Amino acid sequence: MANEIISLLHRLGIDELRERQRVSDLEILTMGISFTVYSDGENIDRAWPFDIIPRLIPGDEWSQVERGLAQRLRALNHFIDDIYNDRRIIADGVFPADLLDDSTNYRPECEGIHPKFGVWAHISGSDLVRAGDGQLYVLEDNLRVPSGVSYVLENRGVAKRAFPELFERHQIRPVDAYTDELNKLLMSLAPDGRLDPMIVVLTPGIFNSAYFEHSFLAQRMGAELVEGQDLVVGDDDCVYMKTIQGLERVDVIYRRIDDLFIDPEAFNPESMLGVAGLMRAWKAGNVGIANAPGAGVADDKCVYAWVPDMVRYYLGEEPLIPNVPTFRCMYDDERDHVLAHLDELVLKPANESGGYGIVIGNRATDEELAAAAEAIRADPRNWVAQPILDLSTAPTLVEDGIEPRHLDLRPFILTGRESYVTAGGLTRVALTKGSLIVNSSQGGGSKDTWIVDDPADLHPPAVGSERNQQQHRDGDR
Amino acid sequence: MALLSRVADRVYWSARYMERAEDSARVLRAYGDVLADMPGASQRWRPLVSISGSNVELPAVAGSDETQVAQFLIADREHPNSIAMSVDASRENLRTCREVLPREAWQTVNDLSIYVRGAAVTSVERRRRDRFLGRVIDESRRLDGVLQSSMTRDEVFEMWRLGRYIERADMTTRVLGVRAATLLQLPPGAVDEFGEVQWMSVLRSLSALQMYQRATKGPIDGPSVVRFLLFNHRFPRSVAGCLAEMRSSALRMPNHATVLGAIETTERELRRSRPAADDGEALDAAMDAVQLALSRLDATLHEQYVVH
Repeated sequence: MANEIISLLHRLGIDELRERQRVSDLEILTMGISFTVYSDGENIDRAWPFDIIPRLIPGDEWSQVERGLAQRLRALNHFIDDIYNDRRIIADGVFPADLLDDSTNYRPECEGIHPKFGVWAHISGSDLVRAGDGQLYVLEDNLRVPSGVSYVLENRGVAKRAFPELFERHQIRPVDAYTDELNKLLMSLAPDGRLDPMIVVLTPGIFNSAYFEHSFLAQRMGAELVEGQDLVVGDDDCVYMKTIQGLERVDVIYRRIDDLFIDPEAFNPESMLGVAGLMRAWKAGNVGIANAPGAGVADDKCVYAWVPDMVRYYLGEEPLIPNVPTFRCMYDDERDHVLAHLDELVLKPANESGGYGIVIGNRATDEELAAAAEAIRADPRNWVAQPILDLSTAPTLVEDGIEPRHLDLRPFILTGRESYVTAGGLTRVALTKGSLIVNSSQGGGSKDTWIVDDPADLHPPAVGSERNQQQHRDGDR
Repeated sequence: MALLSRVADRVYWSARYMERAEDSARVLRAYGDVLADMPGASQRWRPLVSISGSNVELPAVAGSDETQVAQFLIADREHPNSIAMSVDASRENLRTCREVLPREAWQTVNDLSIYVRGAAVTSVERRRRDRFLGRVIDESRRLDGVLQSSMTRDEVFEMWRLGRYIERADMTTRVLGVRAATLLQLPPGAVDEFGEVQWMSVLRSLSALQMYQRATKGPIDGPSVVRFLLFNHRFPRSVAGCLAEMRSSALRMPNHATVLGAIETTERELRRSRPAADDGEALDAAMDAVQLALSRLDATLHEQYVVH
């Protein structure tokens, strides 16, 4: 099918492609598919950037990735549940206890809590990259409030209208089931015995960069979209929302607010976004919260390095989808290797987010490398290092025509009683030549991701052709 | 289905702002049309400013000629009741409650907002203005068509209607309070030349000309125009008509006793204005009283459904 797309693109010609791109852009604008960027002290609602040329992944490869991601999230959830309760993994010497002491995402308030099914990270987005060897690797796991899934669904709608001729002839896995699966998952988190549970999506509000998505998900699930000011916790430790007829009980909250802000009583007392008493209600088992507060403990650049060990430890299985090899500077031998190969590695501080403090070995000056070495020696536990990856590219419509551009992929994984993985995910593409920055707030675009099941047509996907760098991350979760 | 108080409030305000944009467009279009019949009348634009809202002042720098007033009413981003700002406010309110309305409704508002943002400034000029105003009116009507034909008759729908009709009633009283009152106050003979044309324009600005003519069958006469626009409850832009629509929406809302009470108070105030139909000064005062009752009705809705 890859060949067929290429030949279709040639047959249509650049003018027709640009015309289809223009129609898609217009559609995105009038449908109000947007994201919010903060710039010059103002929140600007921008049209979502979309490249009409799809990215292809063969169905059989994807089936393997799906199993790998489901497996990975099972293990991560076992880990979170274990850490807040028995800490067997520490007692058994598989995971070092002192890593938790430094974790900014560990919440002591969550100790001793047993959420339903032992699951804490119900909705997650893991970022995948295809490296020079053609293999898909997990670059990081987002277990707190990952965003982007609404664009997966919207992109597909637009792509169907841009290339109807391809959808007519090929088995492209549909993506629409996601919101239904999410709805089912959220329903299953309701306190026992609550029939016809009331589900709400809790948003920080219109100024949040992912507000479009919060609204989209509420629409698709028929759930209420609420802000903190709409909710109140009663003396009975139950959560209520303020309706035109008074208070109405809420059973499940899909929170899209960072856990430090969800309850001023338990966490940040300054938070205007949250609901006082929410933790009380959750601990009492009177409301389900997804993702559970505290789930972020496993969403950390250091903890990441142990995920393959978690899979082996909790599930007794070999990981089906690999980590990017990661050196942990807290161990003498790994640190020595890192210090000896600084210019060949990407150096990441564990407790920084948003791409801050990351040093890319082959681009850094000698002074920067020396400073990084100094920092690693001073606080080895806070550093990991990874090889500089050769990211794959895909043909993209840009000013000069069709050119290769670097991309990554964020599939979304639902974990409850069962697991569900989106068919594909959000492909983000760096629109600037040679760039690895895929974030939409920084000139990144997106593509529809097609998981294609007609084996006869399939060709191995294109892999990276240019030497390049580990991605910069700006923490756009 | 439960309806969040905050969402109810935003739906209501989205409807009010959309109606405000539409009504301003109607008034402006009719006024521009009648003044085109009166060469050199460009100084007569000022009354339109008072129609667009109380406490509204033209910026001191601006004069009161046609271009400045049209700019103020259409495109001024400092003026909260300008068409551009009303459409924006309607969109911003709706953006935070998209999940409760049909998707097509949001797209209509968003579409209009994109158009207005691009076209408002260049549409001040007389040559392009009519097309712009026509589009604002059409899209606003399309939006109600979408809701009418594809929305469940739930509380969201009723809040939308309440917002639409209260704003429309308010605008009708403003047009009457300002323009009709002024016309009635002119000494006999002073309006003869253009009297009929002026009254036609009052009717037109409320899209009522044809319906008025069908209902009265006689020549256009000031006091009967006023009575038609206030009391003909079968005409959907008359104040009585708007109140009747609000009553039927209120009856479908939960806990509506206080709201019905406020509607009835407004109806009483409206009846009290009957003798004012042929006296300009009295009409102006009577319209102020009805507007006050409408703003109390607005406060009652807020207390009943939003703040509790």
